[in-house]
Amino acid sequence: MILSDGKIAHSYIVQDMYLEEDIERRLEMLGMTTGVMLTILNKKRCGAIILKVRGTRFALGRQIAAGIEIGEINNEK
Amino acid sequence: MKNDVHVAFIGNPNCGKTTLFNAYTGAHLKVANWPGVTVEKKEGALKYHNNQYKLVDLPGIYSLTSYTMEERLSRQYILEDEVDIIVDVVDASSLERNLYLALQLIELGKPLIIALNMMDVIEERGMDIDLHRLPEMLGVPVIPVCARRKKGLQILLHAVAHHKNHPRKDSIEHQHEIKEQKSRHRHNHHKDTVVVYSDWLEDKIDAIENALWEKYGSIENPRWHALKLLAYDEEIMNKYPLEIPEIIDKSYEKEIIKQKYDFIEEIIEEVLFNKDKESQSTDKIDTVLTHRYLGMPVFLAIMAFIFFLTFTIGDFFQEWIVQGIDITAGVLQNLLTSINVSPVINSLLIDGIIAGVGSILAFLPNIFILFLALAVLEDSGYMSRVAYVMDGLMGKVGLSGRAFIPLLLGFGCSVPAIMASRALENPRDRLKTILITPFMSCSARLPIYILFSGMFFGDMAMYVAFSLYVVGIIVAIALALLFSRIDKSKSSNTLLIELPEYKTPNVLSIFIYAWEKVKSYLSKAGTTIFVASLLMWFILHFNMNGMVTNISDSFGAYIGKAAAPLLSLAGLDVWQLVVALLSGIAAKEVVVSSVSILYGVSDINSVMGTSSVVKQLANVGFTQLNAYVLMVFCLLYTPCIASIVTIKKETGKIRWAVFSVFFQLFVAWFIAVILYQFGRLLLR
Repeated sequence: MILSDGKIAHSYIVQDMYLEEDIERRLEMLGMTTGVMLTILNKKRCGAIILKVRGTRFALGRQIAAGIEIGEINNEK
Repeated sequence: MKNDVHVAFIGNPNCGKTTLFNAYTGAHLKVANWPGVTVEKKEGALKYHNNQYKLVDLPGIYSLTSYTMEERLSRQYILEDEVDIIVDVVDASSLERNLYLALQLIELGKPLIIALNMMDVIEERGMDIDLHRLPEMLGVPVIPVCARRKKGLQILLHAVAHHKNHPRKDSIEHQHEIKEQKSRHRHNHHKDTVVVYSDWLEDKIDAIENALWEKYGSIENPRWHALKLLAYDEEIMNKYPLEIPEIIDKSYEKEIIKQKYDFIEEIIEEVLFNKDKESQSTDKIDTVLTHRYLGMPVFLAIMAFIFFLTFTIGDFFQEWIVQGIDITAGVLQNLLTSINVSPVINSLLIDGIIAGVGSILAFLPNIFILFLALAVLEDSGYMSRVAYVMDGLMGKVGLSGRAFIPLLLGFGCSVPAIMASRALENPRDRLKTILITPFMSCSARLPIYILFSGMFFGDMAMYVAFSLYVVGIIVAIALALLFSRIDKSKSSNTLLIELPEYKTPNVLSIFIYAWEKVKSYLSKAGTTIFVASLLMWFILHFNMNGMVTNISDSFGAYIGKAAAPLLSLAGLDVWQLVVALLSGIAAKEVVVSSVSILYGVSDINSVMGTSSVVKQLANVGFTQLNAYVLMVFCLLYTPCIASIVTIKKETGKIRWAVFSVFFQLFVAWFIAVILYQFGRLLLR
């Protein structure tokens, strides 16, 4: 599924990205590499999202969030 | 000086470089809690152990591969030969992400010290960093500091002094327990290379290093160049082109980044303890401030509260200043009369300088409160959240939410706001943002609003002034939409911004910031406004025959009367106001000082002063509607000279500065005419 479809307060694994190369590289440099775990903190109806990855919070616009494929992990603690 | 030691402060955005720089140099450069505050490099000097140090504060960057304008600036500076030593300021509370740039800098091979900043935050959260193991794994000195509390500064400087001439050559201990002969890695770089990539990548690096040696002889740090060539770095590919398609067959940047982060995970595993003890408070605050429905109303409420404070508390103190100016004018008048000063000098001092500069000084408290409130907003960490909250709306007009930060800063002053647009990656977005930023109500418009809404709207004055802020935002956003329609570029909606932890604003730093703004307001009153007042006094009291007794025979009156018909459709064809508007191009506050001189009142903010102006304006049929249209015109028309110059500087083209001048004039005229004509119909 894509990042925009993720649920608030759930964690996921980044599986792939389908974005412009520049944006993809930039996200990777910020630590959003494939296989990394992210947690969705907040999201808006328009698709913008706030997430935490490697201890840092980021806000991502709708189009970026729609271009990141994520996979479920066990969210039950 | 040539023998100065050049120290460059680099690091991720919002990691405290400028705070550290200020702590060393005693400078008062702006610091706040959002990424991208510093957009220009700043220099400072320091003497330590008989050596002169030149410190350079650079805009924050996340990596040495740069996308935005300020990132390119930092990278270029770091790659220059002038830098003797780099101080990489690392935010210890966000170690994992900050280490990425640190690893890139270590690979660059220049003398480097890591300043591990924000150690107080680590302590507060109950986290721990192994300060023995971290430098061992990185091979560079790591000095814990706390820039805000000025801790660790001497030790850092000591380390800088000792390492300034030594490129990194500390031995690296990747893993204690694995003896190298037991390592499964074919490549035995573990003692001298910070990141050892997988064997297949290391094979390529070796091959490229050999090819570089064969083609270009000895170059400094061939490993770094090889990595850059593998990452398809444009600058390095142009500088050292190689024809080895079997090795450099595609960009391996993705793999290089991934493997760096794999190593960072190893470091974090070994050096960071209790990493789960993160602050929960930020998440709690964010559930309200970035809530999908509440976010926008909360933002509007915060802004309304800021302006409420600006008007109410500001006005309270303003009365004192007005009284002070009244007394000064009275004393000066008596003094001038008693020593029989010539009428020309008397008029110059009382009708020119006191009326002009004095009228502006009265607004100091309002300006101070406004900047204080904006500084609290910036220092708290809320600015990045505003970008997120506004992203939906901005997306509809073809801009990213990030573009709202310059607009918000525009409530303070257009000049730094226009410069803040450097953080936008897309040049088209940047240009659009630069062109709409001057429509935001800057602090220089505040005196105009306070004066005219106070004169004409009585108890409703504050709400009328509020409405002008809203008009500014609406016009800016509507024009962004217009530009996007003309531009036809698709909305990229690429908001990507870090949201820092919230922190309690630092009282000292926000007061210093607001004080700096007040100082610059005072210096503007003493320079631009002073000169403008003199000039206004001259053109209003003289004509070709010398000094005039009736101001409507002056040069100014000729100019005003000639231009007034242009504004008749907007109900502003009062020659005095036309002259005031013309003078406002120097700086918008000048409109107030000019009105004061034009209507011959020594203190326009006093009760007598305002009633005199209102009476004179009422005589020419000037009503509440005319006053409102005038304020809207002042909000929208041609930006001040400082903004025009900044637009030229930031776009690099005179054409955009000229466009701004005429475009804003047209927009102001157009909206003023519509408002006035509709208003007349409604009020008939």
